[in-house]
Amino acid sequence: MTLSETELIMKAQNGDPMAFEELVYRYDKMVLKLAMKYFGDSDVAKDIYQEVFIKVYKGLKNFRFKSGFSTWLFRITSNVCITYKGDKRNMHLSIDAEDDSEVENKFSANEDASPEQQLINKDFGQKINEAIKILSPNQKMSFLLKHYEGYKIREIAEMMNCKEGTVKKYLFEAVRKLRVHLNGIY
Amino acid sequence: MTHNDYKQMIQFYLYDELGKDEKVLFEKHIKSCKECADEVEELKTLFSKISVGAKESIDDNIITELRQELRWAIRRENLKTNMFKQFFEKFSYLITKPTGLAFSGVTILLVGILIGYLFFNHNIPSNLIPVNDAENVKNSIDNNLIINNIKFIDSDPSDGEVEFTFDAVKHNRIKGKTSDPELQSILTYAILNEKNPGTRLNSINVINAIQSNKFDAEIRSALILAAKYDSNSGVRMEALKSLKVMPIDKEIKNTLIYVLMNDTSSGIKIEAINSLVEAAKKGFDFDSNDLSQLQKQANADANNYVRFQATNIIKEY
Repeated sequence: MTLSETELIMKAQNGDPMAFEELVYRYDKMVLKLAMKYFGDSDVAKDIYQEVFIKVYKGLKNFRFKSGFSTWLFRITSNVCITYKGDKRNMHLSIDAEDDSEVENKFSANEDASPEQQLINKDFGQKINEAIKILSPNQKMSFLLKHYEGYKIREIAEMMNCKEGTVKKYLFEAVRKLRVHLNGIY
Repeated sequence: MTHNDYKQMIQFYLYDELGKDEKVLFEKHIKSCKECADEVEELKTLFSKISVGAKESIDDNIITELRQELRWAIRRENLKTNMFKQFFEKFSYLITKPTGLAFSGVTILLVGILIGYLFFNHNIPSNLIPVNDAENVKNSIDNNLIINNIKFIDSDPSDGEVEFTFDAVKHNRIKGKTSDPELQSILTYAILNEKNPGTRLNSINVINAIQSNKFDAEIRSALILAAKYDSNSGVRMEALKSLKVMPIDKEIKNTLIYVLMNDTSSGIKIEAINSLVEAAKKGFDFDSNDLSQLQKQANADANNYVRFQATNIIKEY
């Protein structure tokens, strides 16, 4: 065990750069992974990473522990992802977009699985990534926070600043669309 | 409740997000409804396959690169904030003087120019030279700056013009007393920011030689971060060895336990458990939380030696 999260936040709020870095290190892989899944583009995900943590850096002084730090962080992440308009590079995405295999290579496969299983998982993972692209921004974010980060619906509602019923609708619709898209594959 | 209501509950049943009563009713329903029972199984399969994707991990090189970029971005933010702060401090001082009105008119104009400058130039890092400043470009080359990271914005020469950005880096050489705080500060910076792991390692070695029995808080914090998070196992090991020389306190003990719990290298874990054993011999206090973490390692660590030593520490307390 190390410094508690509350201690770290308080130190960072008082301007301790090391404490802020440690706080970032605890969550940054999760943020990057979420952004990569959300956009399917590692360059955009890297932009999102920087934007999220700069916002966290600027806003940390006003963090009053009303919610958990991770809830607050993912609220920022989900806002940044959903409202991301992209820069001029995005205008070329249709012709320059890296293919899914490249995005997949930014991730290392789950090392516990056998090579054959890893291949099957990778193949299915690519199909899932394609299917996720058809979801609306809110459906996509709810789905990723639920299935990839494992948050409860109540927490997702807090992160996305909406009601639990709304998150349920997003999730229901997201899973319905994915089932249609992946029909017969799983 | 209708059959359709139950169908809509399937997904949330699998999330374990149904209320207690709803769950009882739902489980009763699927015992008698084959269609819903089949759908539960189908969704279960889908969700378990999706969950495999959640276990993918991020390439360490990407995350190291992003963390370095973030440090620079934060420095730029701090620089901007400090400029504004200093400016407004001077501004508020001036407007309290009798000549304040005259000054404030001029100052407002300057604020406008400054805001415009910061607003329109925020994408240009300070170490890049604007394209229209040919004299600066020439000076950069004449001053033996290293030009790299050239990125074309407009590489089409058909209109007689091209546009690109580049980094102009200057090599500095420093020679000084090992006790010089500025020299130590540069080495501390290198431990955390240098891209080359060999340089990070060398910086730690030099710091080790310098430190003797005087331990700087900033260096200590940098070593703690390196021991926990550096992407290179050699650097983590060296940082851990440096911490071993320092008098153990709560933060170092927490670092050792963190490394023991999270590091993937058994050599580093052994180094951490050895330091903890030494701390225990010297009578350092381990609280119940520490002991429960050590118990986990004593039960489940893949390495026999780590399990053995973790058990020994627990026996001591």
